[in-house]
Amino acid sequence: MKTQNVSSGSRSKRFPYWLRQSVRDNEGFTRTRELISKLGLNTVCQAARCPNIHGCFSVKRCTFLILGKICTRSCRFCAVEKNRLELKAPDKEELLKIKEAVEKLGIENVVITSVTRDDLADKGASHFADCVDILKSIGKGLKIETLVPDFLGDKRSIKKVVSARPDVFSHNLETVPRLYGKVRPEADYNRSLEVLRYAKELDRDITTKSGIMAGLGEFREEIRSVMNDLRKADCDIITIGQYLKPDAGCLDAEEFLEPAEFDKFSEWAKEAGFKKYYCGPFVRSSYTEGIWQS
Amino acid sequence: MAELKLPELAEGVNEAVVSFWHFKEGDSIKEGDEIVEMATDKAAFNVPCKFSGVLKKIVAQEGDTVKVGEALAIVE
Repeated sequence: MKTQNVSSGSRSKRFPYWLRQSVRDNEGFTRTRELISKLGLNTVCQAARCPNIHGCFSVKRCTFLILGKICTRSCRFCAVEKNRLELKAPDKEELLKIKEAVEKLGIENVVITSVTRDDLADKGASHFADCVDILKSIGKGLKIETLVPDFLGDKRSIKKVVSARPDVFSHNLETVPRLYGKVRPEADYNRSLEVLRYAKELDRDITTKSGIMAGLGEFREEIRSVMNDLRKADCDIITIGQYLKPDAGCLDAEEFLEPAEFDKFSEWAKEAGFKKYYCGPFVRSSYTEGIWQS
Repeated sequence: MAELKLPELAEGVNEAVVSFWHFKEGDSIKEGDEIVEMATDKAAFNVPCKFSGVLKKIVAQEGDTVKVGEALAIVE
């Protein structure tokens, strides 16, 4: 298949046409950003330097990052800060502020994700559950998605979140098993699959979802076998997007896949039996937070 | 006369490289037209023009690195 090679390190490189985003420096963007900043909240949109930020913020859509903004892991694809010395205890105030933001922005589908907190006894699971409880008090048909870390595979933690009954329980595999050592060295592919499988076993009615990045050096067939593994774990929704290097300390993208290749992934996902699948260069796991409307 | 400045393209991204001007000096531009493509480490961004008028002068040439808030062009 034809792909475009990436020149490494060059600042003057041009991206292929399908990796061009539009800047929307408008009122909605400014209002979302100001509210988040006023409340002192963290979003993955900002922490990950997401190129979709204009599109999402301008329609008052964002993905909240809870449990602070410092991560205990050192995944090589991610720009979130890592510094164990600055870790803070979970803060209930953070959750009340998210509720305020959701109400003020009029968000209908909220995605809550977090940094990985391997330092906490429950890995942050009760904070997720509290967050779901607090957001449920808003009512009005608000849909809640929790995009959780692997909790080191701790079943009590998974159960805690599932018991809070978010509408969607997500955990991202991020990449194919062969590249775990390079991309997310502290994670384990089978452990991550088990997080999704166990969540579904606990609650057959919960929608489960996972995402992977393409362009990290995986073979197309490896993506296909990840899809099969996810279906075996009874995962309902998959997202696949192009990996884009967020900062100099992160891995280079090995290739930029053409849009047609993502269409192929959609075909495979359909064949594999996913209820929903979102595959495209700028698809991000939480960009599709409007999934319930589609 | 108005200066079109580089807006923030993504959080914490303080500069970007001009990759391509969609208009040339002397062209008429409407507010909202995507006037220039900028590249960051992560992706490319089309920047819309905030004013209608004539593109008087391209201040930042293709290949130039521009900081957020610095002038890209002058529109009259």
